Amino acid sequence: MSLQIDALFIVGISLFTAFLGEGMTYLLVYRTEKYKKLKAEIEKQTKKLEKKKEVLGEAIDKQQKKKLERDEERLKNNNRDLSLVKMKSMFATGFAFTALLSMFNSIFDAKVVARLPFVPISFIQGLSHRNLPGSDFTECSFIFLYILCTMSIRQNVQKILGFSPSRAASKNNSIFAQPGQFK
Amino acid sequence: MASKQSTMDKSKPIEVSFSTLMKMGLSSKTEWPDTEIFLDWIYWSRQIVGLFLGLIWGVIPLTGFIGLIAFGLCSSGYVYLYCTTHNIDDEEHGGIWEIVKEGFMTNFASFLVTWIITYSCVHFDESLTAQQL
Repeated sequence: MSLQIDALFIVGISLFTAFLGEGMTYLLVYRTEKYKKLKAEIEKQTKKLEKKKEVLGEAIDKQQKKKLERDEERLKNNNRDLSLVKMKSMFATGFAFTALLSMFNSIFDAKVVARLPFVPISFIQGLSHRNLPGSDFTECSFIFLYILCTMSIRQNVQKILGFSPSRAASKNNSIFAQPGQFK
Repeated sequence: MASKQSTMDKSKPIEVSFSTLMKMGLSSKTEWPDTEIFLDWIYWSRQIVGLFLGLIWGVIPLTGFIGLIAFGLCSSGYVYLYCTTHNIDDEEHGGIWEIVKEGFMTNFASFLVTWIITYSCVHFDESLTAQQL
């Protein structure tokens, strides 16, 4: 029964850290006027830009191209400012979680916390079988289950609390966004 | 949680509660006024489907890469089927690819957590006992 308790305990830890992280970010970032202003500005600019692109389509003249580029540049600058505002909270939560993680790591050291219903691919095995004795790769380490829980819970908590960025804004800010599409 | 453009003022976002979103999603006559709302429905319904699949896969138990592939097919298939049975114009919401990939990674993580924990809770002690015998 201890295995099941450990697994559920890890889910509890992730829930706790997700709320703690969001709480800290709220205190340091989300409630500040600067963040609110920048977020609203980005949402507005993104929607405006998307609408413009939709209306203009492919056939645009030089002047319109330049205007669009200028808007894109402004949006990029705002996104950069927003990332800078978020930076201090990222550092604070980073430090707090590193300390928490190392504490839990020592508690669950060399302990099987769950049994995987599949054998992970080789480059994941280093994580899923971290600090575990033996070569049964269906045994799951603390860190692997914790990462999975965090991936699942943090995103949902952010969405429930309304702190996740809008899809349009995150799409424009993603590394896959093509800068200067209209060049 | 979700934002929606009002019909009166396109730039002003309004809130849609979770229960309203569920009602809208389950109704076959819903006209989705905004892509964000529709994608929110896809996101949350997928989360529920993922948790449900993880529970079933863990209880059966479905193991190995067949379980992972079956999940991928079921999860994407659910979105595709929803769009076709509810006559959703995918181009209006950014294309079928955008809809199918909406919340996939979070959904996959939720599924894995449920699958692993259910499998460990339901079958692990039994297999241990069998090994000891």
